Amino acid sequence: MNENETILVIDDELQIRRLLEITLSAHGYKVIHAANGKEGLIDAATHHPALIILDLGLPDIEGLEILKKLREWFSKPVIILSVRNSEEDIITALDNGANDYLTKPFRSGELLARIRAAIRAGENKNDAPVLQVGRLSIDMVNHIARKDEELLKLTSTEFAVLSLLAKNQGRVLTHQYILKEVWGYGYLEQTQYLRVFVAQLRKKIEEDPSKPKLLVTESGIGYRFGE
Amino acid sequence: MYIINIIKKIVASGLRSGINQYIFSVLVIGLTVLLCIPLSNPQGYHVVSYILLFAVSILATFMGIGPVFVASTLSALVWNYFFIPPHYTFHIDKAEDILMFGLFFIIVLVNGILTTRVRRQERLARDREERTNALFQLTKGLSRAVGIDEVLTIAIGEIKDNFTLDSFFILQDGNSILISSGRLQKEKILSQNEYVIAEWVFKNGENAGAFTNIHSETDYTFYPLLGTRVNPGVLAVKQEKLFKGVQKAFWDTFLTQISNALEREFLGELAQKARFLDESDRLYKTLFNSISHELRIPVATIMGASDSLVNSTHPANIQSALCNEIFTASLRLNRLIENLLNMSRLESGRISVRLDWYDINDLVNKVAEDLKDELKPFSLAISVSDNMPLVKIDYGLIEQVLYNLLFNATQHAPVASKIELVVRYKDGEMMMEVMDRGPGFSDEALKDVFKKPFRPEEAKTGSLGLGLLIIKGFIDAHKGSVIVENRKGGGTMFTIKIPTENPDIENLKLEST
Repeated sequence: MNENETILVIDDELQIRRLLEITLSAHGYKVIHAANGKEGLIDAATHHPALIILDLGLPDIEGLEILKKLREWFSKPVIILSVRNSEEDIITALDNGANDYLTKPFRSGELLARIRAAIRAGENKNDAPVLQVGRLSIDMVNHIARKDEELLKLTSTEFAVLSLLAKNQGRVLTHQYILKEVWGYGYLEQTQYLRVFVAQLRKKIEEDPSKPKLLVTESGIGYRFGE
Repeated sequence: MYIINIIKKIVASGLRSGINQYIFSVLVIGLTVLLCIPLSNPQGYHVVSYILLFAVSILATFMGIGPVFVASTLSALVWNYFFIPPHYTFHIDKAEDILMFGLFFIIVLVNGILTTRVRRQERLARDREERTNALFQLTKGLSRAVGIDEVLTIAIGEIKDNFTLDSFFILQDGNSILISSGRLQKEKILSQNEYVIAEWVFKNGENAGAFTNIHSETDYTFYPLLGTRVNPGVLAVKQEKLFKGVQKAFWDTFLTQISNALEREFLGELAQKARFLDESDRLYKTLFNSISHELRIPVATIMGASDSLVNSTHPANIQSALCNEIFTASLRLNRLIENLLNMSRLESGRISVRLDWYDINDLVNKVAEDLKDELKPFSLAISVSDNMPLVKIDYGLIEQVLYNLLFNATQHAPVASKIELVVRYKDGEMMMEVMDRGPGFSDEALKDVFKKPFRPEEAKTGSLGLGLLIIKGFIDAHKGSVIVENRKGGGTMFTIKIPTENPDIENLKLEST
């Protein structure tokens, strides 16, 4: 349990703020809330929250603008919680520095899981030379991955995809982001490459490739590295 | 005066006949005379007159009136000079020969002119027949045409064939406002000026544009299409000069035929629109009623259960049961809203398909996971063929389609029955089949299950019947097809086909091996 971690909720709907306060407090978080963007930016600066939950449709400033402003100095996780559910909105938010995205209506359990994952990912900065995830260990220095000590035969691209996602555990990476990081700018449209490699990777690292737990698909958005 | 007029006409037509015809006429007469030289005796010169008469008559059957006149005069003079005694003078001795000469001159002239006139009449009759035939073709074509677009295609084609003119139509939208982009003639987009002229013509019912007194500063001449009850619009033609005389009458008849055909289609379309509005009005009311009902039920559950939680003390198991009811009701509300939003996206035509490459396994797994609770009472069999390539689809839309299909199955199939999902790839198409052992559809329902909100009589409540409409709309947006049929042994089978290209992953394979 993350005792006394402060979470800032920026949302103009009183009912949502109340619900989040009750739910989050019950799980040991300290909650501050702001009803508009200006307040939110001030609160973020004064309270240094461990995580921000941000609504996109605020009355004074566009949520996306707030996200951009926050990202100028705020390095902790930001989770978007919005009724806007179009893939474009979500991708734009993620590409502008949001760690995760949840659409309203949401399940509290899901939100709590995302909060936990985001905070944890922020804590252990993933620049360790060897990442240990469940039965998987990824050696960033030597570019090898093992599953239960057994060496996995990965191509260099497969390893690049895997290590990129693993380094950003708990965070949704958009297709474009992954393509840019692994293949380069010329490949932003080549989603099919990514699909093929993810499918291959799953066969090698997942317990049940049809129910992936590590390389989780975010519908129409991208991938996240799971627990 | 009359004679001068005739001469003027002859000279005018003579000029038209061209200098060659004159030379030819003179040559023919000269040659005839040469051939007749052996007959140059006191008994033969009458025969010569017949031969000359014959030559001129032949000429008249294919020469203009001018050359025929020249040939007539020349032959009379030549006959006189060479054949009527005394030879080689224009002098005539005998009184009967003077009479003969006079008669010959008149007969040859009348004969020649009459023949050419008959020929002209014949040509006019032929023209008339051609026009009548053209009109007949037009009328036949127009009366067979179905729909405005077809009428326009035929009209434009016939105008091109009969007048060798390019044309396009500007039609009104049903509210007496011209549609600014030329319908059918897609390459022609009206300029502001042209639109103004077209509107003027439409309002005033008179010609305007090139070669008229009004707005002549354009390439096109605009003609109003005048119907008896509504005026369908305006026709623009790019012509060299205005039509005159017979041509104009022909053009006017042409226009009237086209106007009538357009008006007919126009009124038909309006009537159909009215019927459609009626129908959609009725649908709207039905939908509105069922929305109100469907919203009320979960709201009532939420209110009742939460009120009970707040205002009375219950043992823990009752509390959690009430909470469960609230949660279920909220899921139902959420589904309703999701469907309504999707429907309104479809209705407003704002569906934009964002195609990208996806692994269909991902989508299938996701939907099965989302519907995990609903699917629990059934035995679900998913089969995705091994050779399934990546598919190019809009993930969100197809996810919704599959969700709706599987959700429907869980709502109608008997508990513990088998629900099957089969995904295959064949001939550039992805094929998804969803099969259940539910009650199936009645023959009546099978026909328009994708056309209007559908709720079977015996259905559990909790649906607006929009699910299938949304499926159809989303699949149409992918240029795919969806059909539904009853299965042998009971139940329903939905088959969805979506065309998809083959991914270009050649260079990938090289790297991964």
